[in-house]
Amino acid sequence: MELYTPVLALLALAAGFAIFSVAVSTLTGPKRYNRARLDSYECGIEPTPQPFGGGRIPVKYYTVAMTFIIFDVEIMFLVPWAVYFDQLSWFGLIAVVLFLFNITLAYAYEWRRGGLDWD
Amino acid sequence: MNDEFTGPAIEWARLWPLFAVFGTALVGVAVEAFAPRSARCLIQSSVAGVGLAVALVGTVLVALELPERAGGAARGDVTAGGAVVVDGPTVFLWGLLVVVTVGGLLLFAERRVDAGLPVFAGQASLPPGSTAGPGGPGEPSYEDWEHTEVYPLLVFALGGMMLFCASGDLLTMFVALEILSLPLYLLCGLARRRRLLSQEAAMKYFLLGAFSSGFFVYGMALVYGYAGTLNLAGVAVAVRAGGGQEVLLLVGAAMVMVALLFKVGAVPFHSWTPDVYQGAPTAVTAYMAAATKIAAFGAILRFLYVGLGDARWDWAPLLWVVAILTMLGGVVLAVGQTEIKRLLAYSSIAHTGFLLTGVLGLQASGDLAEGQISSLQAVLFYLATYGVATVGIFAVTTLVRDPGGEAGSVARWTGLGRTSPLVAGAFAVFLLSLAGIPLTAGFVGKWSVFASAAGAGAWPVVAVAITSSIIAVYFYVRHIVTMFFADPPEDAPVVVVPSPLTSVTIAVALIVTVALGVVPGPLLDLAGHAGQFVR
Amino acid sequence: MIAFWVLAPVMVIAALGILFVRKAVHAALLLAVVMISLAMLYAALEAPFLFAVQIIVYTGAIMMLFLFVLMLVGVDASDSVVETIRGQRVLAVMVGGIFAVLLGVIVGQAGIGTAVGLGAANEGGNIEGLAEVLFSQYVLAFEATAALLITAALGAMVLAHRERLVPRETQADRAAARVRAYGEHGDHLGPLAAPGVYARHNAVDTPALLPDGSPAEQSVPTVISNRGTGRPSPSYRDVDRVVGQLQSRRDDQDPATDTVVEGSGSAARGEDA
Repeated sequence: MELYTPVLALLALAAGFAIFSVAVSTLTGPKRYNRARLDSYECGIEPTPQPFGGGRIPVKYYTVAMTFIIFDVEIMFLVPWAVYFDQLSWFGLIAVVLFLFNITLAYAYEWRRGGLDWD
Repeated sequence: MNDEFTGPAIEWARLWPLFAVFGTALVGVAVEAFAPRSARCLIQSSVAGVGLAVALVGTVLVALELPERAGGAARGDVTAGGAVVVDGPTVFLWGLLVVVTVGGLLLFAERRVDAGLPVFAGQASLPPGSTAGPGGPGEPSYEDWEHTEVYPLLVFALGGMMLFCASGDLLTMFVALEILSLPLYLLCGLARRRRLLSQEAAMKYFLLGAFSSGFFVYGMALVYGYAGTLNLAGVAVAVRAGGGQEVLLLVGAAMVMVALLFKVGAVPFHSWTPDVYQGAPTAVTAYMAAATKIAAFGAILRFLYVGLGDARWDWAPLLWVVAILTMLGGVVLAVGQTEIKRLLAYSSIAHTGFLLTGVLGLQASGDLAEGQISSLQAVLFYLATYGVATVGIFAVTTLVRDPGGEAGSVARWTGLGRTSPLVAGAFAVFLLSLAGIPLTAGFVGKWSVFASAAGAGAWPVVAVAITSSIIAVYFYVRHIVTMFFADPPEDAPVVVVPSPLTSVTIAVALIVTVALGVVPGPLLDLAGHAGQFVR
Repeated sequence: MIAFWVLAPVMVIAALGILFVRKAVHAALLLAVVMISLAMLYAALEAPFLFAVQIIVYTGAIMMLFLFVLMLVGVDASDSVVETIRGQRVLAVMVGGIFAVLLGVIVGQAGIGTAVGLGAANEGGNIEGLAEVLFSQYVLAFEATAALLITAALGAMVLAHRERLVPRETQADRAAARVRAYGEHGDHLGPLAAPGVYARHNAVDTPALLPDGSPAEQSVPTVISNRGTGRPSPSYRDVDRVVGQLQSRRDDQDPATDTVVEGSGSAARGEDA
């Protein structure tokens, strides 16, 4: 627990700062609104996709979410390997490279089939 | 951890069929990524076909080389640090799974039954009922597209199943359970016709399946809390030693069993079965109904016999109840069904009950009378007969079609025996086998599981099993009677002539079903030769 | 122990909140609270790896996926609470109650023994110990997980991705089409003029001025002009006003000119609409 005390302190500090900034700006800041100001982007660019029916977004973004999760899980498996790397030697290296290669295959599939295209 | 790390010994000589299957699936994914769409279907089905052939040959080779253990009562090896056990029952189930998957692959690749179109949806992400493609007629459309991902998914499912019934510890078993389940959830949602029903099936299967997986993990953790290990052999040692917090073991094992019984569709965890069997593409249903049951019963047998063999008086009464409920629930609900695939789904639930009856026949090898069939042998044989007949019967249901897809309603099949006796005849033989009429494989299977359960003293269960078999015969025979002894309706459904892919599947299933009914000896011996589980 | 007594009430309240809040988004955020608190408990229990997993995978990825799915179905969507199966709610409460009683009895029987084995497992470091088992007895399960992740990727693509029927239009294609349009109909070939930037109001809604002083209507993004929030070239009016002021200073005469200029301004506005 001792180990995390600085982290927790920093966390509290960051949270405090964030809350303080938001609170102060709402209290002291000028409040003049017009329609353009309330847009997501003041330059007039439409947010893509345009929210419709209560801010729904197209299902194609789901692929991106899934890719994110896959890489997330992947890095969690890499952590023990990286920490214990010197002991695991060649066996560990081969195991991890095989694992990464397999996942990269899935990534290549997504990329080649246009799952990552932004149009 | 000052001692030097050494990797586990992975015996390639025993495991290579498993690696071949996973390798095939990976090649399939690479093909998906880099092959042009027009060539994909052909390449994918060939890759899968070659992979399955290699796996089949490999399984046979591995089976021939298994070292004997325990004075010949068992054969096989524990490998990969205790994670995988390649023993007699494992290779028997591997062989069975690969054979069933070959049947599934042939049905997957079928194109002729639906006017040249594949059996899977052109583009699954389109909303159900939407017109294919943006343009009008003549414009490019998704109509003749196909998700060739189904082939790697099929092979992945096979790999998961092979690992599932070979896993020596609960963690590997859990990972394998997920590997076999995820592709099946997906495949269920890819039917070309009746998209909404198919998506509903996938959704239900996924949600309930994920829920049951949660049970597995929780149970696994509790078993670890009792035994201090996830290894089944280690659990067995802890159980034999006794003491400790028994409650943890009982609750944990019960939760693991909930997940396993869910996979085989035992009452009260059966509610997904009819919806999923009906909604999934029939090729997938055929594969799933046969293969999942084979793999999951492999896992059930290993978990109960290896891990909890010494606690059998704790789990047997509970399993008695489940077996009785499953058999009665299956047949009673099947009587009122009006859809062919739902009827077969309930019938498969009843078969789960019969298989559980066989599982209950566990006896110590010393108690086994001379020449008596061991419960393991009986269940393995039953799985073979059930798997083959199931693939065959679902393959036949793809042939009878209405304009909108398969003629699902039982009433539509009226008089089919008059218009196309061949198809109706094949269907009738499979039904008779499922009913367990003598001279079909189903009879020998049923007889062997009942005999083994009776030998272990599970008389009440056997009595219920016989009663439900009689009820089952009633609705199977009723269906045969309406097929052969009633006039076909005016707008009778069309019976299509399939490509050799489906024909061969049906023919082989038919031959095996009859052959096993007439001369069950060789396969029964093979199942007996597999011996006991290695721990 | 302090960590537990601080976090446990937070978690329980947040978990109850998940059940009772009306909006799905709020439930998801409360779930995040539960997950982060759980992560802190892991840290307090000397399980740093699990702590990291809980934060990175659960709070990061899984929560994100939840929110994503909520956005797919619409943030404002709320559940229909109509029972489709009669008596379902009563049955659910009954079965849940029975299950709770069962669990209570079991936990009561099991008692809470002292946890053992933590010291042995963490000897030489938590993550190192984990690596040791992950790469020895569970190495096959670890490799097999790759199959699981690949299946997940395949599934996401199959169910959510719509492939293109026709090849994608590249930049070269668009350039060629533009030149063709220029050749056939004489359409404008170059880029459009940028909007006038006068650092007042919302700058891009102000049309640029062409050399002759007339506004370039096309320089305002169509989004803005379609929405009707564009400003009808105030700059135009401003120029006139400056001219008018100069004149008034010279002629020592005022509001009449201004009225005229105002009139020309509204004429420009009319043209705009």
